[in-house]
Formats: sequence, structure tokens, C-alpha cells
Amino acid sequence: MTTYIIRRLIMMIPILIGISILSFAIMYAAPGKPTVLNLDPDISVEDRERQMERLGLNDPAHIQYLRWMGNVLQGDLGNSFTRKQPVTQLIMDRLPNTIILMVVSTFLAVIIAIPFGVLSATRQYSKLDYGVTFTSFIGLATPNFWLGLMLIMVFSVQLGWTPVGGVSTLGSEFNLLDRIHHIILPAFVLATADMAGLTRYTRSSMLEVINQDYIRTARAKGFRERTVVYKHGLRNGLIPIITIFGLMLPTFIGGSVVVETLFSWPGIGKLFIDATFERDYPVIMAITMFAAVLTVIGNLIADILYAIMDPRIEY
Amino acid sequence: MKATKSIFILVNLIFMLFMFLTACGTTPEDTDTAERGADEEVDEPTGDPQYGGTIVLGTSGEPVIFNALYHQDSASADVTDLIFAGLTYTDESLEVQPHIAKDNAEISDDGLEWTFELQEGVLFHDGEELTAHDVVFTYNIFLHEDYTGPRAGSFTSLESVEAVDDYTVKFTLREPDARFHTLTGYSILPEHILGDVPIGDLEDYNEFNIENPIGAGPFKFENWDPGQSLSLVAHEDYFEGRPYLDGVTFRFASDSNALVLLLETGDIDHMIAPTSELVAIETYEHVNLSSTLALRYDYIGWNLQNPLFEDVRVRQALTHAIDRQEITETVLEGQAEVAHAPVSPLSWAYNEDVARFDYDPDRALELLSEAGWEPGEDGILEKDGEKFSFTILSNDGNTTRRDIGIIVQQYLGQIGIEVKPEQMEWGAFLDKINPPNYDFDAIVLAWGLALDPDPSAIWHSKEIENGLNNISYRNDRIDEISDINTTIIDQDERAELLGEAWAILAEEQPYTFLYYPNQFVALNRDVQGFTHHPRVDMYKVNEWWLNR
Repeated sequence: MTTYIIRRLIMMIPILIGISILSFAIMYAAPGKPTVLNLDPDISVEDRERQMERLGLNDPAHIQYLRWMGNVLQGDLGNSFTRKQPVTQLIMDRLPNTIILMVVSTFLAVIIAIPFGVLSATRQYSKLDYGVTFTSFIGLATPNFWLGLMLIMVFSVQLGWTPVGGVSTLGSEFNLLDRIHHIILPAFVLATADMAGLTRYTRSSMLEVINQDYIRTARAKGFRERTVVYKHGLRNGLIPIITIFGLMLPTFIGGSVVVETLFSWPGIGKLFIDATFERDYPVIMAITMFAAVLTVIGNLIADILYAIMDPRIEY
Repeated sequence: MKATKSIFILVNLIFMLFMFLTACGTTPEDTDTAERGADEEVDEPTGDPQYGGTIVLGTSGEPVIFNALYHQDSASADVTDLIFAGLTYTDESLEVQPHIAKDNAEISDDGLEWTFELQEGVLFHDGEELTAHDVVFTYNIFLHEDYTGPRAGSFTSLESVEAVDDYTVKFTLREPDARFHTLTGYSILPEHILGDVPIGDLEDYNEFNIENPIGAGPFKFENWDPGQSLSLVAHEDYFEGRPYLDGVTFRFASDSNALVLLLETGDIDHMIAPTSELVAIETYEHVNLSSTLALRYDYIGWNLQNPLFEDVRVRQALTHAIDRQEITETVLEGQAEVAHAPVSPLSWAYNEDVARFDYDPDRALELLSEAGWEPGEDGILEKDGEKFSFTILSNDGNTTRRDIGIIVQQYLGQIGIEVKPEQMEWGAFLDKINPPNYDFDAIVLAWGLALDPDPSAIWHSKEIENGLNNISYRNDRIDEISDINTTIIDQDERAELLGEAWAILAEEQPYTFLYYPNQFVALNRDVQGFTHHPRVDMYKVNEWWLNR
């Protein structure tokens, strides 16, 4: 197992280098240059040229890439073009907010989706099953931004139950209730799409397991139905879910771009979208690589959890 | 059967939810309050100004750096305008007025020496006095060869700056430069804090620029929570007197949609209101809207490298064919004036007496026919077998420009010109239209104008290759006027010369000048003492007060 993990970690290196070359190339090929964004008649052509030179934008693309790579290997992600701060600091300022949002929404997705998936499988073709199925499809089909806007309209503007956006009340000291108050809507919106998917996966996976011979054996032995379903069924049914779960990890970054923008949530998703419009290369690269690392690690975690959940799987 | 029934109920429920949600969107009293809101504008102050309270300003742009020598974005400018003070400022009628200086500059007869007397007792936030040495220190940064900021180009005419005594500072210019008036308002930096920092490292000196900027302005920097808020507190020893407000907090939101929601719920007291949101904002009982003409104009630029637009008669015809009055009334809901020249009516250099090409499609056809364009078999104008057909480009997300593109398509379609409106992402759009690509036929865009009306940056032919003259306009007289106008210190004389330039540009129609738009500020009714400045968002905030 240890050697397997080490082997996998080593394999990550070429993968990540490949991703970095690809994303740099795509980013560089996209039209638009960073400082050109300022069409200010007050700023002279010479001043703009000097800025290009200072940011190293006049060098050929491969030189820019190698310089970036060299700095990254020394632990330096560079300075943001537009924000004039180290990228590491920009990300560290915002990452905790994104992680909190991810954790809460994942938690919401899991505690809602898995029980409903199981119920819907054990009571196949019941009213409840149809209800859950129908709601999941609605959840899958509803765009995040639309749902978010509607929830803001209803709960924040009309009813005034939740704040319109932000992480906490302005100028207040840390307060857990206040934080929960602020996170509940964005976390719910971020969770919906995954919740719907997870419910569906759990349902089909459980259905398959429930019809297996060993479940019939367990029932024949006279175990209580709860024990049969949750101890013998769920444990086996969850294996494929875990893979999906590991693969879901990076999609949170994608989802957070939309949700963070909607709810003015100061996380890296918001930073990423701003950086993209500003063609802020160092920030774009840093966050892309962060998502890449998350994807690769998510995969690895899924594989490891696999082995833990199912002792028959060996590496 | 049971299943279909429950699905039916669910669908019904969802349908009802939709009804409820759409009902929330528009309430019947919309129209009444809209009219009321528009009439009232800003209330007369009720009673005497009172001290105390904190105002929350909503903004979608997050500042970058609190040092006016380096920032390029308006969000940073808004914050630095509150923290720092300059020798002069530009008032709401765009006149330069003394601020830290006792009076406007005394200019020597040859126009080369500008002397300012400073007020005594102007204190930085840390209690040190601001003297002529700080002014010299600040302006010498622009002149330093290691200066990395974007403003060196503005100071090419400045030769040196020196402190005659503690309260007198003298600028010496290489040649007379009328623009220098507008350059005397830069934030004065404290030499006692930054004096030892090498100029080359100043841009990245975050201990000052980001973490603890010290100025002599009405508000002190307190705290910045990236992505969330930024708070400033009153500077007790501000030289014009302590501000009425105890503090100013900027609250950051992702976009104007989010800001409007925050305004509705009362979370913010102030925002710059985009025209597209006015209808919603006018319905809020607790909000006043203030409007003033913005220092900018919107235009359609014709790419003169494209043979279609080479002929001046064709460009005049295009303007004749577009009903700009109608555009201001429909797209902008009447919140704009039709423009005829590239200068704002707010400017002292404005010239009313220029050629006008009002809506007249018959005249347009006449001009086009003179230029050799005749209707072909399909009704589209042709010349030498070539059809009059082009693309009009703007940046996406901007619905006003999108609508203008579509309206222009209709107007020009009526006289037999085929127009395809297109939109692109902002960065890609700029890349496409600017040197070295010049890859467009026509663009819908706007210029936010500088305080000084010098036309060089946009109209001089030397700006074609690498500057802002991306439509490649070339006119010898305009080049000449651009070159000499800044050497004329006398404003009336200069205005006359510039007036000639505006007349030429209005006659030649390298752009179809569309309109001068109004800009809006939404303010909570409790906020008093607000003055609407056409260019500066955070103007005289020390005079604002809360009636709560």
C-alpha cells in the first residue's frame, strides 16, 4: 500500500507538468493582454511599454513559461499583475473561505443525498422514490446561478431571513451563528447539483447490491432489515460512490466560481474569474494548478478509500 | 396511477413557486415611485450637519494599492482620494482649486515657473506636518529614472521641483505646458516614512502601499479585509476640520446586481448606479438618486483603414442615417444628450458651434450616391460590384452597446447598408481592435475623458502605430493643433484653438459621436451634504453627514 501511494505520488509529477504546459499555452493563446486592458488616455504608450517590459511580457512564451516554472520550483508563485501582491498571499487570504464553503456544501450534499438515495432504493417504485427521483432531476437541471438568484430574491430580499452576500456581518467579531447564517444559502446552492447526482448514484448502486445473494442470505439469517440494509448493503453500495466523490472534489472549484460570484463570497473562485478577465497570468496559473493538484489527489484518495472500504481490493 | 398523481402535484407546486417568484419581481406600484424618485433627486439638507456615524459604500471593484503614483483603477483611486490630499483639486465644475496650497499656482510670465504657497499646519495621519519637502519628494518620484508606475509620461515637461522654504514649492518646466494644472492634484506622500525606500522598490513596498498608507486626507486607513470590506476612520486633525462622519466603510460585492440587492436591503448607503439598474433603484423608498452629466462620450468608431469608410461623405451619410436622438430616448431612457464632437459640454474647451449631422435618411442617400454608392438588385448599396456590408463590434455584457448595434443595423438597413452586430469578451475585444491588429469595421465604445482636453492621445496620427488612435485617423491640422495647444497657457486662447480641432473632427466624422450620458449615484436618504462630481466618486466626503 505504501509503495503504491509513493508510486502514485511520483506519477503525479509528469502529469502536473503536462497540465501546467497545457494551461499556460491555452492561457497565452487566448486573445487579450494584461496591461492593454487599461485604455486610459492619461497613460502614455511609453509607460505602457515599460510595464509590459517590467512584467516580462515582451519575452517569448516559452521563456515566460520556464521563468514561471523556475520560480514555482523555488516556492514562488509570483506577483499578481493587477493586484501588485504575491499570488501566494492572495490565495491564502481567500482559500479558507473557499474550503469552508466546500466542506459545508459537501457535508450538506452527503447527509441529504445518501439517506435519500438509500430510501429511494429500498422503497423502489414507491411515492417517495418517485418524489426523490423527480426532485433530483430538477436539481440536476437547475443552473446554479438561477437557483442562487431565486433563493436570494426569496430569502434575502423578500423575507429578509438571510444576508444578501458576504462571509460575515461587517465589522463584527467572529461569531459562529453569524457565519452559519451567511454560509447556508451559498452552501446549499453549491450542494444541489452534487446532491442530485449523489442521490441517483446511491440509488442505483444500492439497488444493485440489494438484489445480491448475500443480502438474501443476511435476510434469511433473520437480521433486522436495518442491519441488512445499512451494514451489509450500504457498505458495499458505497464503493462506487466513493470514486465519484473523489472525482467530485475538483468540480467544487468550478462550482465555486459561480456561487462565490453570486454571493460575493471572497474565495478563490471569485479571484479566479476576476483574474481571467484581467488576464492576470500568475493568478490564473496558480489557481489552475491548484485545481489540477486537487483533481489528481482526489483520484488518489478515491483509490485509497476503495481499498479501505473493500478489503478484497489490493494494490 | 398513484405515481402520476404525485408527479402532477409536484409539477403544480413548482409552477406555483414560479408564479410567486415572478410576482416578487414586479410590484404594481413600480411606476408611481419611479416618477417620484426621479423628481426628488437629492433632498435639501434637513437641519445642521451633525457629527457621527459610519457610511457604507458599495463597490464591485476591489482596490489594488493605496498609492496614487501607482494605481490605474478607479477602485484604488476612490480609497486614495479619501486618505491623501494634494496641492490642488478639481471642483465639480472641473476648475482646478487650491487644496493644501493656499492659492492656485503663481505662474511666471514665460510659463515655466509654477510656484505654490502651502497652508501651514497640515498634518499627516501620524501627526507629522506636511511641508514643501514632502511635495518635492512626491513629485521627484515621477522624475526618477527608476520610477516604475504608469505616470512618467505625464511629467515629461517637468524639469525639476524644489522647496524654496518649508511652505513654498517651485516647479520648473522645460516648456510651457497648459496640462500641468491638472497634474498638481497628486496625493502628497510623507517623506519621513518613504524617504529611505529606493524609488525602484516603492511600487512593491506593501508595508505602506497596502498595509498602512499614511496621508493628509480626511480619513485614516484602518483595516482591509480582502474581498469583503475596507474601513477608514475620520482624521481628527484634518486641516479643513474633522469630517462629520466617524468612518467610511467600503463593502465589496461581485457585480452591480449584488450591489443593488445590498442597497435594497439597506446594507449599503451609496453606490454608483448603472443605467440598467435605475428602474429597480427608483422603487426603493429609502434611496435617493442623484444624476449629473458624466465626463465622457459614447461613439461609433469607423475603421478608416477599411476602404468602405475612406470617403468623408460616406461617414457623414452614416451619421445622418442614424437617429441618435431616438437612441438616447429609447436605449438610455432620455438620460443622455446627443453628442456632435469629441469634447464634453462640461469642459471649458467645449465648442457648440460645430457641424451637426442630424437624422436625415434622404440626405444620407444623396451623400452616398455622390460617393458612388447605388442600390443593387437586392436593395443593398453597391459600388464597383462591392456591397456595402460590415460588422459592428462591441464588448459583451454591455447591453446598451448591444442594443445600439441592433438599432444601427435597422437604421442602416433602411438605406440599404448591411450591418452585422457582434459582441466579444472585453479583453479579446480590445486585443482585436487595437494596434497591431486593427481588426474591425466599426466599434461601439466610449471615452472617459481626461481633465485636460488635449486631443493628442486619441487623434494625433503618431498614435496610430501604437496608441489609442486605432481607427487610424490622420489630419495634418489636427496633428498641428495637438502639438501646439499644450504650450498655450491662456485658457481662452487655447479653447479657441481646440474649438477649431473639434469643428474639424465634427465635420470629418471619423467617429459618429453618439451621446454624452448621465451618471447616477444612489444614496440612502439619511446621507446629507453630498456633492455630485462628474469625474471623482469620493468627492468632499468630509462634508457628508448622516441624519440618523
